Amino acid sequence: MTPQPITPDTTSYYHAAYLVAGALYLGYVLSLWWRARRLRK
Amino acid sequence: MKLLAVAIAAVLAAIVRIMFFTPIELLQGAAQKIYYIHVPAILSAYLALGIVALMSIVYLWLHDERADRLAESAGEVALLFTTVTLSTGPIWAKPIWGTWWTWDARLTLTLFLWFVTAAYLVLRGAIDDPIMRGRYSAVLAVLAVLLIPFIHLSVYLFRTLHPMPIVLKPDRPSLPVEMLTTFLLSLGAFLVFCVALIRARYRLALLRDATAVP
Repeated sequence: MTPQPITPDTTSYYHAAYLVAGALYLGYVLSLWWRARRLRK
Repeated sequence: MKLLAVAIAAVLAAIVRIMFFTPIELLQGAAQKIYYIHVPAILSAYLALGIVALMSIVYLWLHDERADRLAESAGEVALLFTTVTLSTGPIWAKPIWGTWWTWDARLTLTLFLWFVTAAYLVLRGAIDDPIMRGRYSAVLAVLAVLLIPFIHLSVYLFRTLHPMPIVLKPDRPSLPVEMLTTFLLSLGAFLVFCVALIRARYRLALLRDATAVP
């Protein structure tokens, strides 16, 4: 009988990567908005 | 702002597909799904850096301040995407390689690209004279973009832990159709997002120059 591979539980890393990427993208979009707002004042 | 809204919607749609309609890889588990944001991030960074280099050449040739402004905008966005690449990569590496970081050729060269891109922006901020700023930063940008082929080919040129390309290679992609479709959708969404961010940053630069005190 061929042993079946056991899929590791790496969900927390997957979620962490998406959260970090989301925070960086959101932070940059907010910085664009903030800088434009400051220039308009 | 319309393009940015469309791009954000496309990225969110791609993430819904990644999370709910893409199978989990058997050997790596859910961490394999980091691939769908990690690779589009570095390819978006390459696109942005390509624009920086191209606009820098145009600036050196024609001395057109619009080219310099576009290069500056794309440079900032390139730094963002390289930062995302360098943040998501180690989070994937920890459960798969057992370490957050290793000084192999591809990782080290990508880190070096991050430093050169950051240096490009710091250099721009440090020079007041717009002509000197445009000229010096354009030369640095053209040199920086030469790193990209070395980064892409580093997995062939050196012994490295980093996986070999599974889509951008001479043979057929090694991903199953479902995963390949997800990857291509995600790549398309992130490339549009990259262009939308460069456009938004260019508008900000226009506004800054219009309101600048002479």
